[in-house]
Amino acid sequence: MKKMMIMLKVNGQEFDLVIPVNKTLTQVLREDLRLTGTKQGCAVGDCGSCTVLLNGKPVNSCLILAVEVDGQEITTIEGLAVDGLHPIQQSFVEHGGIQCGFCTPGMILSAKALLDKNPTPSEPEIRAAISGNLCRCTGYQKIVESIAAVGKND
Amino acid sequence: MLLPKFDYQAPKSLREACALLDEFGAKARLLAGGTDLLVNLKHKKLAPEQVISLNRIKGLDEAAAKKGKGISIGPLATAAYLAENELAQGPLQVLAEGAGRIGSPLIRNRATIGGNIVTARPASDLAPPLLVLGALLILKGKDGERELPVEKFFKGPGKTSIKPKEILSRIFIPEPDGPGAGAYLKLGSRKALEISLVNVASFIEVGADLSIKQARIALGAVAPVPVRAKTAEKFLKGKKPQGENDPLFREAARAAVQDASPITDHRGSAEYRQALIEILTARTLQSAYSRIMKKV
Ligand SMILES: Cc1cc2nc3c(=O)[nH]c(=O)nc-3n(C[C@H](O)[C@H](O)[C@H](O)COP(=O)(O)OP(=O)(O)OC[C@H]3O[C@@H](n4cnc5c(N)ncnc54)[C@H](O)[C@@H]3O)c2cc1C
Ligand code: FES
Ligand code: FES
Repeated sequence: MKKMMIMLKVNGQEFDLVIPVNKTLTQVLREDLRLTGTKQGCAVGDCGSCTVLLNGKPVNSCLILAVEVDGQEITTIEGLAVDGLHPIQQSFVEHGGIQCGFCTPGMILSAKALLDKNPTPSEPEIRAAISGNLCRCTGYQKIVESIAAVGKND
Repeated sequence: MLLPKFDYQAPKSLREACALLDEFGAKARLLAGGTDLLVNLKHKKLAPEQVISLNRIKGLDEAAAKKGKGISIGPLATAAYLAENELAQGPLQVLAEGAGRIGSPLIRNRATIGGNIVTARPASDLAPPLLVLGALLILKGKDGERELPVEKFFKGPGKTSIKPKEILSRIFIPEPDGPGAGAYLKLGSRKALEISLVNVASFIEVGADLSIKQARIALGAVAPVPVRAKTAEKFLKGKKPQGENDPLFREAARAAVQDASPITDHRGSAEYRQALIEILTARTLQSAYSRIMKKV
């Protein structure tokens, strides 16, 4: 199997890697970089548990070949908590947005992409932004509330 | 689910990509956004020896309008880009509305227009808008290129008239003949990540007196390929509606039902689909006409 050398900038840090060309970005993050915050559920684009930010935009990392993103910038859930929890993470904790936690990294990254563009989204905007992220536990309401509460003191 | 083994190449120009396709032919597959190809590879529906990525080729991911000459769209323009770029409020509105309904925000950041066209899903959200815009596809091979109206491109579910050694290198939208506007509607059982039950795009061009010069209506998910509702289109030609609520549009919508042959499946019955065709067609026509009236 052909291997290629690539450089990934993950959470601000550069990694030089030699990887087989048929590895997905999810696999490289989890197996080569041991960043297991990125989950794999369906592996075919339906669930969003593999969500990462690619140059700031949320994408399904299970449908991207790692060699395709050579040289590009990736943010995973591990990149959010710098000095303690990120405000979005804190809000999920405070507002009951997490149950089993499997969807949480993806939810939070989709929320981050939304809030970076639009710090005060409406409820329909929040629901649209997380429409590619499935949750089997919370029924979504608590997640929507968690995102709406970010940056607000209540 | 693991990907099968393949070799990977990322040419830097269309010429190089054409040469690689010429060398490997049916053993190769092009890769754009990968939202269709990677799923098929994981499900072992495809097993190419070579995956040839188009993503290192510059200048294929944008749309540009030339005054009086129409709009040229690169095959790597993503659904997110098409839904939001500056042309989305103007002549490409009907396409932007289709693009905004693909999959989820995550999928839309990767899914390309070229991949969507070549995949030829009967329920594609971009095919009906492209049909009503009269899009032309530029297909490029090693020895030159040819131009094909999008209507002649689709042959059946997943089947098109592209040759194994060709690349869809441009999508061209001709300038409308006078003031015009379109609209797109899709109905599925939920708002995201859903395959349409029925989708409809309409585009209307009017003369100086606001009478209809030409109406184009395309229905998706109701036949093996997206179809034009020609009876309804003929009915509208030359008519002068008294505003968007003119009963003309409902009458045309009833005619559109005759132009499709929907089937019953687990998503819905044929009768339900017929009712939907009528309602969605009427609404897209009314909204297209009201958009024209706001412009002129
Ligand atoms: C979860 C999910 C939800 C989806 N929802 C929708 C939906 O709601 N509506 C919808 O319409 N589609 C949907 N799709 C299908 C798919 O995302 C779209 O068809 C998308 O536009 C395909 O583009 P791509 O760039 O990802 O294609 P790719 O996967 O890169 O390519 C698809 C095919 O086209 C070929 N190809 C790509 N570009 C070219 C080119 N320039 N020239 C020649 N051949 C080319 C490839 O070889 C491949 O065979 C969905 C897919 C997933 C996984
Ligand atoms: S694992 Fe990627 S979308 Fe489900
Ligand atoms: S918290 Fe369990 S899937 Fe969302």
